[in-house]
This record gives sequence, C-alpha cells and structure tokens, in this order.
Amino acid sequence: MSRNGARIIVVDDDISVRRALSRLLISAGYQAQTFESVRDLLMNGELGRTACVIVDVRMPGPGGLELQEILSQVPVPIPIIFITGNPDVPTAVKAMKAGAVDFLSKPFSEEELFGAVERALALRSASTDQRRMAHRRR
Amino acid sequence: MMAETGNNRVQGWRPAATLLAVAVAYYVGAQLGFILRFPPTTPSVLWPPNSILTATLLLTPVRRWWLYLLAALPAHLAAELPVLPPLLVFGLFATNCAEALVAAAGLRWLSDAPTRFDTLPRMAVFVLVGALAAPFVSSFPDAALVTAIQGESYSFVWRTRFFSNVLASLTIVPAVVMAVRNGLPNLRAAAPHRHLEAGLLASGLFLASMGQFGNPSEFGLGLPAELSAPVAVLLPFLLWSAVRFGPGGLSVCLVATALLAVVAGTGESGIFVTQRAAEAVLSLQILLSTMAIPLMCLAAVIEERRQASEALATRLRLEEMLSRLSAAFVHLPSTEMHRALDEWLGRLGEHMGLDCVVIAEYSRTAADELVVRAWAPSEPVKPQTVACREVRWADDQLRQRQTIAVRDVGDLPPHAHAERLMFRLYGIRSCIVVPLEAGERVLGGLAVATTSADRALREPFSGWLRLVAEVFASALERTAMEDALRASEGMKSAILSSLSNGVAVLDSDGTIVAVSQSWTIEGATVGSNYVTAWRETARAGASHGSDAAAGIAAVLARERDSFAFEYTARDPTAERWYSMVVVPLNQPDGGAVISHTDVTERKRAEVNAQRSRQELAHFTRVSTMGALAASLAHELNQPLAAILSNAQAARRFLDAARPDLGEIRSILSDIVEDDKRAGKVIEGLRELLRKGETEVELLDLNALIRDVVKLLGSDALIRRVRMHLDVAAEPLIVAGDRIQLQQVVLNLLVNAMDAMADCPTEERVVSVQTELCDGQTARVSVQDAGPGILTGQHDLLFEPFYTTKPTGMGMGLSISRSIMEAHGGLIWATNNPARGATFSFAMPIRNGTAT
Repeated sequence: MSRNGARIIVVDDDISVRRALSRLLISAGYQAQTFESVRDLLMNGELGRTACVIVDVRMPGPGGLELQEILSQVPVPIPIIFITGNPDVPTAVKAMKAGAVDFLSKPFSEEELFGAVERALALRSASTDQRRMAHRRR
Repeated sequence: MMAETGNNRVQGWRPAATLLAVAVAYYVGAQLGFILRFPPTTPSVLWPPNSILTATLLLTPVRRWWLYLLAALPAHLAAELPVLPPLLVFGLFATNCAEALVAAAGLRWLSDAPTRFDTLPRMAVFVLVGALAAPFVSSFPDAALVTAIQGESYSFVWRTRFFSNVLASLTIVPAVVMAVRNGLPNLRAAAPHRHLEAGLLASGLFLASMGQFGNPSEFGLGLPAELSAPVAVLLPFLLWSAVRFGPGGLSVCLVATALLAVVAGTGESGIFVTQRAAEAVLSLQILLSTMAIPLMCLAAVIEERRQASEALATRLRLEEMLSRLSAAFVHLPSTEMHRALDEWLGRLGEHMGLDCVVIAEYSRTAADELVVRAWAPSEPVKPQTVACREVRWADDQLRQRQTIAVRDVGDLPPHAHAERLMFRLYGIRSCIVVPLEAGERVLGGLAVATTSADRALREPFSGWLRLVAEVFASALERTAMEDALRASEGMKSAILSSLSNGVAVLDSDGTIVAVSQSWTIEGATVGSNYVTAWRETARAGASHGSDAAAGIAAVLARERDSFAFEYTARDPTAERWYSMVVVPLNQPDGGAVISHTDVTERKRAEVNAQRSRQELAHFTRVSTMGALAASLAHELNQPLAAILSNAQAARRFLDAARPDLGEIRSILSDIVEDDKRAGKVIEGLRELLRKGETEVELLDLNALIRDVVKLLGSDALIRRVRMHLDVAAEPLIVAGDRIQLQQVVLNLLVNAMDAMADCPTEERVVSVQTELCDGQTARVSVQDAGPGILTGQHDLLFEPFYTTKPTGMGMGLSISRSIMEAHGGLIWATNNPARGATFSFAMPIRNGTAT
C-alpha cells in the first residue's frame, strides 16, 4: 500500500474540521472521503477499500467508540485514529485498549496526523499480509 | 351591725312613746275639759282632746292614724266613764274622732303644707277647714247624742261645743304642731334676749289676764258694756306675740289667755257660779275665737314676710358668695387650682354654716377612683383617694347627673350601705350632693353636709349649690385641659429632642418654627426660610437644590401629599448622602414637617451589598463556567483544529509545482471563518465572565435562550443529553441585563443536565420552552427527566447554600432568584407528572425591539 492513493475516511460532525482534514490528507497524496456521522458512513461508505478511518470521539448519535466496536466485527480490522476536541483519559484508554492507532487532541499538527496515518497504513498492510499468508497456508 | 340594731330599737321605741304621749295628753285634756264645764250640762267651755287628736293626725302618717285613734280610746274611757253613761261615752268618742279626721284629712287634701302655718293661704285653709268646718260638722251628731241621752237643750249644747272646739282648735292645734315640729330646737337656738322678751310677754299677758278676769263679780257685772276693756288690755300683748313670735308664739299666748280667762271665769271652785257668768264666759269664748282668727292670719302674714326677707337675705348672701367664687376662679392658673379649691371649700363651709364641704373629682388617671377633698371646721383639707365601688350608690347618682338630697339618714336607700356608714361615722344629719358637670361629662361631685337637725339643708340651697358646682366644674375642666395641653407640649418637645434624625417644622411660608436637637442643617435655623435656603443652594450651583425647593413648596401648597428626596452633599472629608421627607402639617394654618436623615451609612452598605452580590454572581458564573470548561474547550478546539489543518494543507498545496490557487483561496476563507467562530466563542466566554455593573437593555428572550443553548450544545453532546428547544413564535422582548439573564438560563440548563447524570442515555432530554402568557408575561420553562425535587424541599431550593450536588456551592438558584426579583420576575420549580422537574421563570414583556 503506497501512500499515494490510500483511501482514508474522515467522520466528524463539524464541517469545517471535515473540510480541513480532507484537504490536508489530499495535499499529502491520500484520497479522502468525509462523512458527517457514523450512521452516514455505515450507510454510504465503502469500508472494504478503506485504509483507515479518522473519527471524532463524540458526535450526535453514535460516536467513535461505537464505530470502533462495529469495525472490530469485520474480518479485516480497519485501523482507527480517534480525534477529539475534548480529550479525557478514560475515553483515550478505552479507545487504545480496543486497538486504536492513535488518539489525537484537536488541534493537532500535520506531523501528528500523518504519523498516525502512516502507522495505520502499516498496520493495515501487515494485517492484509497476515490474512494472505493464512489464506495461502490453508 | 351594732348601729343597725341600735337604730331598730330606737325606731321601735319611738312610736310606742308617741302613742303613750297621745293617750296621756288626751286624758289630761279631757280632765281639763271637764273642769271647764257648766255643771249641769255636758259640753265643756274649752275641750282640748279633739285638738290634740287633730294635731296628732296632722303630725303622723295616714297609715298609722288608726293606731293613734285607738291609743286615745283608753284615755277617753278613763276620763269619761266615771262621769257619763257608757253609751254617751262611746258616742262622744266617735264624734271626737270624726272631728279630728275631718280636720286632718281636709287639711292634708287642701293645704300644700298642712303642718305649717307660715303663710296666709296655709293659715286660711287651717282656719276654714281645721278650726271651723270640722267642729261645725261634728257638733251636729254630738249635740244630738247629748240631747237624746242627757235630755239637754240641743241648741245650747251645739253652740257650746262648737265654740269650745273652735277655740281649742285655733289655739291648741298650731301650738302643739309647731312645738312638736321644731319647738325645742328653736327654743334652744334662740338668743338670750329672745328668752327675756318671751318672759316679759308671758308675765305681761298673765298680769293683764288676771287683772281682767281675776274678779268674777266685777267681771260679771254689765259684761256687754265692759267687754271691750279686756280686749283692749289683751290685744297689745297678743299683737306683740303675733309680730315678734309668729303663729307659734301667738297660739301659745292664745291658749294661755283662753285658759286663764276660762279658769278665772269659773271662779275659785272651778264652777261657773251663775248662769249669767256662764253666758259671759260663752261670750268671751266667741270673742277670743273671733279675735284669734285675724290675729292668726296677721301672724301668718308677718311670718311669711319674715321668711321671705330671710330667704332674700340668704339669697343675696349666696349670690355674693357665688360672684366672689366665680371671680376667684375665672383667671386662676391651673397650677393654683387645687390650692384655691381647698381654700374655698373652707370659706363656703364657714359662710354657710356647714359642717362639712367635700369636692370629689373622678381621677384623671384611674376612671374608677375619686379624689376626695373634704373640709370640716378646723380641719385642713387633705386629698384622699376613694374607689368608686366603695360609694357605688352615690357614684351611680352622680354619673346619672342626679342631685342627691338627704334630709335624714333614713332617706338613704337600703343598698347605700357605705353612705349610711359615713353618715353615722361623721354624724351627718342632712346632706346635698350635686354633680360637677362639664358638657357631656361628669367630673365629680360637690357635697355639703350638716351634723345638726336644726340646720337641715333646704331645697333652694341645692339650686345654689348647683351654681357653685358649675363654677368648680368649669375650673376643674379648665385645669384638666391646661394640664393636658402642657403634657402634650411636653411630649412634643420630648419627641422632638429624642429624634435621631433632624426634624424641622415649617409654617405655611416655609419659615422654620421649630427644630429637633439633632437638626444641624447649616444655614437653616429657626426663623429662616427653608425653601429659600434650598433656592440659594440651587443658585450656588447644586443641581438638586431647585428640585428640593419645588418639592417642599408643593407640599406647603398642598399640591402634594408628601415629598421624598435623596441627595449628596460633600462635607470636608467625604461625600455624604441625605434623605429628606416632607409631609404636610395637619392643621388649619398649614405648614410642613421636614425629616432629614443622614443615610450615608445605609447607602454605603447598599453599595457594598450590591458589590458583593455582583461578586458572588460573578463567582457563580465562573464556577458554572468551570463546569462548562470541557464543553468550551471542545467548542474552541473545533475551529482551531480546522484552522491548523487548513493552514498546513495550504502550505502543502503551495509546495506543489502548480499550486491550485482556487483551492488555496477557499482554504484561506475557511480559515477566516473558523477564526471568527473561535473569536465568537471567546467573546461569549468573556462576556459571561465579565464582572460588572448591571446594564439594562431591551432584548429578545428567544434569541438569548438560543445563544445559551448553542453555547451548551457541545456540553450536552459530551453529557449525552438531547436538547429540545421550543420557542414562542413572537419575539419575547424584556428589559434586563443580558448577562444576568443568560446566567439564569445557563444555570437552569446545567442543573437540568446535572440532574440526569445517572439516567440512561436515551432518557437524557432537556426541553426548553418559551411562551407568551396573557400577553404581558414571558415564561421560560426548563424541563428535565431526572429524579425530580424531593418532597418538602421546594421552599429550600432557592435558599443560598442549598445543594444536592457533591461539589455544588448552592448559590446558583439563589442568585437566579435575586436576578429574577431584580427584573420584576419570578422563578419557581415544580415536579413533572411523570418524572423529573420543571424550573420556570417569568418576567414582564416590554414594548419595543431588542437592541
């Protein structure tokens, strides 16, 4: 999975944040797709070709943690990066324990974001390779 | 008790003695009558028993008459039975009684005072009825009886009996009646020269009678021719007695003369010697009777004149006394009043020959007490207090404005125990009490009393006493009024000097007429004009001076009911606040009362209180903001994150070989928007945290609530609380301080969210509703679905330091309430029917648009 073309989903109820994040990701060569809520994502998104998901922890309706729980059900886990404007330790701990790639506090720098995205992509490719190998072994 | 039984014994003893006296007198009279009788005939020349009976009946009450007549019966029998046949004796008793009854009953009926002979009408009635008619009528049956039983000549018997009874009645009845009524006291009271004069008269009369009637033979010769001689000799003495000694003296002299004449006429043996002598005596009888009638009338006329002149003299003396009394009291200062009263009680007593003069005044301090000042000869007046209930009878009489006239202790009603006891104690015989009346009120009573029967107080005296009482009453009332006036003056000046604030009394022109001790306004002293003083202040540059002058002038002109005014004045050290209240003086001349208070301390306290209130409100706002910090951080981090990401993206775009300038422009405008957004959050935050003066403006509650709900939006999100906002269709314009009202709404919303912290997520709903009630009131309700308000805690909710939160301070609702009160609104809480509570506030709607 190269940096170019990796498809990243952004879920945030704040349109400004959505637009800014998608621009930043695009400027770095990623593909970005934005959703205003978890429900929107689940109904309209294509998770299968997604490299990672950047999601706000709290939104009207289901939030980042709920999404994390849903995504843990799928065969190939999609790495999740949490962002929040109101960080709190219990939520962060809960998210990380459940396998989150990172937990970023708004406002965050591009280095932080891209670092997290890169780790997510690495995680994603590693897990894909594992699956392939397992498939081959079988 | 002792006095009571003693009195009964006296009363029981007296009638018995009288009965005995009547019997004895009747017997003696009868014996005398028998002596003075013509030997062969029954009628006597002078028959006293009938007159004694008549006098007795006149002196006794009608209901006892039978008793006295019965008492005379044994005397009658004892005297006549030995001499006359029994049938005649009983018959004669009947005719005697009949005569006495006719005389006494006739006199009682026809005369205004049957036992008094002191005026011509009274004397005339007595002569016609008692002395002529009664013997005339009773002599017919008497003569018939004697004629029938003894066989004597009817005409002789009738004539003899008639004349003897007329003579006896004319002489004996007045003598006995007057002697019994007031003979002894008069005799005792008479001066020595009167005794001497009476002795001279008696001896002169005796000598003249003896000289005329002493020699029967001489007397018997040629009577008709010589009849004028004894009359001529006797007349001067009888006239003397009539002129100098009145009807009483005259009748005594007439009795004596008649007895002497008759005794002399009957001779030494006591029997008329010859028929001719008897005829002569008869003639004498007629002569004396006819002479007695005009003499008696003359005496009555003279007595009448004497009494009238005496009454006039007394009257003059009383009038003189009264005028001196009035003169003494009319201009007397009230402080001298009681001393003068005491002095005049003595003068009255001494001049009127009274034994006791008492003035009793109802106490001014205790309505049921009398202050009694009693004068008695050689005893100084000493005021004493007597409870009204101790002399209840007299008290009742006085309060009913009755004059009490007691001639004798027996006149007192049975229940007047205390009064009777006083009569006994002080030996009072007669007494008059008149009320002291002042208009509608009875101030007390004036009482005079005598201790001896011969100075019994007469009726006319009570009329005069009422006039005296009038003088005393008006003097006492004036004293009371002057004292009351002095007391009220004293009270007024005491009040004025005790006031802590400066008080000045103005007349209708605004001139100061009186000030309290604490009045220390510079340049405004008694005599200066207060309105002018304020006008000068205005001229000197103080802007409030003309307002004050106008306000005071308006009150003085009765254009305003009152005027209240606050102003500041700079004293050398600091600025001071004063409050002035002007109220009109409620009196015909007008004027006003100024009350001037230094309210600097109060003002300072108010300012301090307001400042601490503001500080506290600020503090609660800050602590509320603390609770919102997370929400606010989120609110701020959101645009900041967008800005940062946008900026970094733009930088990257610019690094590209062919930068997409359109995209960069779009990024920059997004950055500007987000920056503005962050700025607004900061602005709102700063506004909430601002510490400051109240700023009242017109604002729309709907918009205000929308802002707050928006501000809390992210907090609600974090807390997983859904917010329902249901605003009224029309703008709700109210006048108020934006920040304070925001604080109230914020507080209610945060409380609502706090209340649902333990509820399942799906139940966490806060409904905010605004509505217009009755066109005049805006109402805002915040409904939660929490546990609701505990029973009995409704009243405590809005009290300071009441909290249900572990970290709460308990000031939020208390401050919300004071904010609402300051805005003329209300705040309250109710439990919802299903669950949770609703907190509402309401405030008046204003016209206009939000600024």
